[in-house]
Amino acid sequence: MVLIIRERMISLNYRDSRPIYEQIRDELRKLIVSGALATDEKLPSVRALAAQLAINPNTIQRAYNELEAEGYIYSVPGKGSFAAGNDAAGARRREELLRQARDLLRELRYLGVSQEELAALLKEVDQ
Amino acid sequence: MIEVRELVKRFDGFAALDGASLSVPTGSVYGLVGPNGAGKSTLIRHLTGIYRQDEGTISIAGEPVWENSALKARVAAIPDDWYYFPQSSIRDMMRFYRSFYPAFNMERYEKLKEVFQIDEKRPIRRLSKGMQKQAAFWLTLCCMPDYLVLDEPVDGLDPVMRRQVWSLVMGDVSERGTTVLVSSHNLRELEDVCDHVGIMDHGKVLLERSLAQLQDNMVKLQVVFSDGVTEVPAELPVLHASKMGRIHTLIMRMSAREAEERVAAYSPLLVDAVPLTLEEIFIYELGGVNYEVKDMVL
Repeated sequence: MVLIIRERMISLNYRDSRPIYEQIRDELRKLIVSGALATDEKLPSVRALAAQLAINPNTIQRAYNELEAEGYIYSVPGKGSFAAGNDAAGARRREELLRQARDLLRELRYLGVSQEELAALLKEVDQ
Repeated sequence: MIEVRELVKRFDGFAALDGASLSVPTGSVYGLVGPNGAGKSTLIRHLTGIYRQDEGTISIAGEPVWENSALKARVAAIPDDWYYFPQSSIRDMMRFYRSFYPAFNMERYEKLKEVFQIDEKRPIRRLSKGMQKQAAFWLTLCCMPDYLVLDEPVDGLDPVMRRQVWSLVMGDVSERGTTVLVSSHNLRELEDVCDHVGIMDHGKVLLERSLAQLQDNMVKLQVVFSDGVTEVPAELPVLHASKMGRIHTLIMRMSAREAEERVAAYSPLLVDAVPLTLEEIFIYELGGVNYEVKDMVL
């Protein structure tokens, strides 16, 4: 798993205006939310990721610290960082995503997308 | 820890360094940036004990550098013009390095042969400029330095090799706690590898910060003010403002949250905080001291 993460799953985009630690944080969060990193699965060590991505270890550590503060990962001293379960990660992220969804929905409505079409979209996502 | 205090160096009366101070915490990667002629290389030559300062102090791990060979055995450097003996091969230079660095690691030397894949017996002068740079990294990393000083280190390296050498250096930083000072003009790259940045100009260090502080202390806001407000309110402490249509782009020296709060007082239609890249921070910091791209038509 660790191998897959470093080989393929974290991709940094150098044209992205987000700072590197935010990109790493967001990519790891995506892996956890999508289930690619299962609950209690070990994340790559800061050292391994620093060498693999050629990124300063402190930058990686900052991403890890933020994920821990958000409840997506937990760390065990001497063992490393692990993906936390979904419940722990919930509240803050949910709030943020609902806000984004609201903005998107507002724009879609403005562009003339009907409520029925949006409902159909929701159904499609559920399947 | 590398400590430089009020360093002055004059060449024929010209002060190449004019009271430069900086400090590099142990285990950090410090990026030294600045326009051409700012004094970066001169400062680096003091750190490696090549120049002797006229005034000020330089210490590494608490000791002065000048003529201190025990300390210099722990400091490895890649200068911008790497020296090798005229007829020598990488293997010859390895013997030379080994005689100066007691910690020189032969096992690592053999391992890195795989990475760089350069014939160690070929005369170095027959290698391309980029390959010579690779050879410099190869030998320098084998010295197992506690302090690594790099002057424009990845100039002339291809993109794959750049990543490769940074990966090796970052590996050393996290495994061995190596302290790195690197000068470069490639700010995009420094943003990845550094955690501290110092900006030099005219022989002085204008500012030094951790990267996190730099990123959190300057913000770019895109604002559309409500109808009737066409100018940026004068009370806002704006470093730089530009306008495209109704969208004002404001650079302010404060955190994103604070800036959004200050602008919110004018009930704008839209406020969006965009993070600044190191390149932008560099331009706006130096813009304040009359260093900017001039609009000139030739």
